[in-house]
Amino acid sequence: MSDKRMDELLEQLREEYNVPPQTPRQEMWDVIEAGLGESGPSVISLDRARRGRRPMWHGPAGWAAAAAALLVMGVGIGRLTAPMEVASRGASLAPVGVSALRTAAVEHLGETEALLTLVRAEGRGGTLDPVVRPWAVTLLTQTRLLLDTPGGVDSNIRDLLEDLELALVQIVGVGEAEAGGSAQAGVELDLALRGLDNRELMPRLQAILPELTGLAGT
Amino acid sequence: MSQGVKSENSAINELAALTDLDLVERARSGDQAAFRQLYDRNVDRIFRLAYRMAGEDDLAKDFTQEAFLRAFQRLDQFRGDAAFSTWLHSIAVSVALNGLRKVDRHRKRERSLEDAAHVTPGRRQMEPDVRERLEQAIEALPDIYRTVFLMHDLEGYGHREIAETLDVAEGTSKARLFRAREKLRAALGEEMQEYV
Repeated sequence: MSDKRMDELLEQLREEYNVPPQTPRQEMWDVIEAGLGESGPSVISLDRARRGRRPMWHGPAGWAAAAAALLVMGVGIGRLTAPMEVASRGASLAPVGVSALRTAAVEHLGETEALLTLVRAEGRGGTLDPVVRPWAVTLLTQTRLLLDTPGGVDSNIRDLLEDLELALVQIVGVGEAEAGGSAQAGVELDLALRGLDNRELMPRLQAILPELTGLAGT
Repeated sequence: MSQGVKSENSAINELAALTDLDLVERARSGDQAAFRQLYDRNVDRIFRLAYRMAGEDDLAKDFTQEAFLRAFQRLDQFRGDAAFSTWLHSIAVSVALNGLRKVDRHRKRERSLEDAAHVTPGRRQMEPDVRERLEQAIEALPDIYRTVFLMHDLEGYGHREIAETLDVAEGTSKARLFRAREKLRAALGEEMQEYV
């Protein structure tokens, strides 16, 4: 291909490939200003939440402790003794822990799906039920426990959990903004709902749950 | 003109006369108007680049917003070694690439050529087959090539600025652009000889 023809194509590309529309200056500034002005969770604190997370448990014993913590919180289904056995018998019993964690993950993801369904339904009305915030806080804690368990979940679930973590931080932020009577609550809610859609969380949850449920034998 | 409006205009003019570095200093001390001035000076180029990379309005807005928010929250980390706009571009490119990787795991980037709504009237448009091949070839470029290609050939950035933004040598930027163009040429291939 001649250089001249290539130059022609490049010129046409400039006019036709992902051509930016007029910059929505004020619309974006409103979001940025809200993020700067709010001390509650926002895009900024989402990033901080992610950067600030450190693995809490390492090695087989710590891994079992994570499972135990999840189960104690009621995420697991009556397997309180399983992680204790893992802890006492060492790494050779890891498969038992894997099963317990997978079961906990299924329960957790199912509950998260229920919360997100509620948030989406209520979000259309412009506010969230007060029950949402404490529920989201609990699920956020559980999400981080699962994420901070080395080897506890496979990469697909980890990706989903990371996105759920961000969504839950946003939802907690909405709850805090609403509880505090902040004028930015609507913006936070809009951001949270858009985040759910952009990350396609509901379809991903609905796709992964049946598969995971089968693996967990529940 | 009222005294208040005069005073406001005067403040705006004062900010407009400041360098980015001065504005950063003011923003660090909490001056909201300085944040806005930094935003106004840079938002068009950041949004355009984000849009070229994302091909979607919502994604481009998200990337732009997140880039500014991150930059404003990390102003204390800006040492002034490079221009503020370069530093901001580095953050924006990083945000966009990370965001696109996440999006691409679940869906392909939207085809944009067919939807191009801003084609200059009267300008000869690309043949559909060429467009499709080029689009696929651009989408298939590795990030390091695609980013340089979009910045240089579509948005008109110079190699020096690209190099500073991506924290690579200027020669690396040129080499990446060369490789990107070669890949596009190869993608058009022999089937396109009639146009060549």
